[in-house]
Amino acid sequence: MNWLDNLTEKFSRNVAKTSSRRGFLCGLGGVIAGGSIMPLLPVARAADTEQPGPPTVDPGDPATCEYWRNCAIDGYLCSCCGGTINSCPPGTEMSTITWIGTCKNPGDGKDYIISYNDCCGKTSCGNCFCNRNEGDRPTYRPHTSNDYNWCLGTKSTAYHCTVNLILGVAIK
Amino acid sequence: MLKQFLRFMLLLGMTQSALADLPIDKPGRIETLPVPYPNDWVIVHDVAFDHMSVGRFMVLDINGGDIKDFFKGSFNGGFIAAFTQALGKPEMYVLEHYYDRGTRGNRTDVLTIYDRATLEPVDEIILDDPKLKRAEILVSKFVISLIDDERFLLFYSFTPGTFVTVIDLEKREVVNGVPLPTCAGIYPTGKRGFSSLCGNGSMVSFQLDEDGQVTERGKIEPFFDVDKDALFERPAIIGGTGYFPSFNGAVQEIDLSGAAARLGENWSLLNEEDKNRGWRPGGAWLAATDSTGRLYVMMHENGEEGSHDYPGSEIWVFDPDSKTRVQRIPLTLPAIAFDITMGDAPKIVTTNIEMSLEVYDALSGEHLNTIADFYHNWPLLVYASQ
Repeated sequence: MNWLDNLTEKFSRNVAKTSSRRGFLCGLGGVIAGGSIMPLLPVARAADTEQPGPPTVDPGDPATCEYWRNCAIDGYLCSCCGGTINSCPPGTEMSTITWIGTCKNPGDGKDYIISYNDCCGKTSCGNCFCNRNEGDRPTYRPHTSNDYNWCLGTKSTAYHCTVNLILGVAIK
Repeated sequence: MLKQFLRFMLLLGMTQSALADLPIDKPGRIETLPVPYPNDWVIVHDVAFDHMSVGRFMVLDINGGDIKDFFKGSFNGGFIAAFTQALGKPEMYVLEHYYDRGTRGNRTDVLTIYDRATLEPVDEIILDDPKLKRAEILVSKFVISLIDDERFLLFYSFTPGTFVTVIDLEKREVVNGVPLPTCAGIYPTGKRGFSSLCGNGSMVSFQLDEDGQVTERGKIEPFFDVDKDALFERPAIIGGTGYFPSFNGAVQEIDLSGAAARLGENWSLLNEEDKNRGWRPGGAWLAATDSTGRLYVMMHENGEEGSHDYPGSEIWVFDPDSKTRVQRIPLTLPAIAFDITMGDAPKIVTTNIEMSLEVYDALSGEHLNTIADFYHNWPLLVYASQ
């Protein structure tokens, strides 16, 4: 999708309020991704019925910029690129060196530590750009900075898209 | 009607026979550019976010009306390249890397040296130390800096170990890799040195000898809270002093003229009304100066946690001496980055949210021109020509 084709003036002005890094450009994609699936209602994902214990709640659509785990992302959502929220698209390589965000799950009210892993080795996915910067800090504190290309330690630094993995619940 | 047609055909025949033939064109003619570039030319980094392996730098005349007027030439930069340019010689430097099969295969890191007139690569320095691989950062001009009258070129290395790599441009070779304690940014400091901001809110400084080896170190102990009010690592440097805006709207002055950085005054860009309306600095490139030494900062309203990269709706102008705002420049479209041209008639050049460039008179704030038609390119960072 050529983002310029979708760029109306109204849309652009919305971007002014919602965009930020790897682009600011990122905001553009975020609005595109999010615009088509409003309203976002909390949806209790089916917890694995084989597992004992209380159900989990993970509201929202991972393919939208507004999805809660995307609170500090800056890049293309792998869910729109042939991957999922936590898996890379075919033929790419997941970087294990990442930046970290802390995002609140509106479904259970808990703050989760999220690892943003870039999927690497192919040219940019180009779908569902999302740029949110809650907790993002400048490049002098790398582990909380989404301004780097985090395709590090991979065979290629070619950036394709980003997944977000839950590392655990943040301890206050 | 028939009579008119016959008269036209007769006239056409007479005209054709009376005109000389066009001259034969010779093949192989290549344009060159004037050096130095006029003040109203800028270099704009097309970061090619959708195809990063083939970014480029475009030389543009900001007075141009359409593409044949404003587009003067271009040169390449692979994988979110970093760029800087010399003042004292017609050289421009692109820090980049490539794979021998496009996005895969063997990687070659290189500092490519371009001639300003021909836009041809005239030399290159291969960078093969694995611990000194460059950082790929989309929106920072301070990942690469020239020091010591442009003899040494420094660049930020991130693997994620952090170093500053020192290249001797006379010898055309890497002469050092200075380890950094989780810091970033290269701000020229003193005679032959640099400073970097660090993750704990401190700043470190280094001076180098003629061989590029560290001779002196300095440190400013932690002086800001990265969580509560981080400093942007993208300052404007005016007369040897760095003006670092903070996320919440302060400015931290840092004196970079001595052997080590020294903390200067901290003051606010905001009055009470500004604070109530949530004005904050922000953008991909948000601070610059002009030939008169004024400080320009791009601002957005209703700021909040995470808004530090929001496009700016205005550029505010400050007198650094009196630390007062002297002008507000509303932008015709919110912008994500800007720079200011050199000379007596400085102009602001912004990249707006539609990925077009806007030109404003920096002194009056008047909107002068729009440069568009970049199609699917990403003309993100603007560099005033030196």
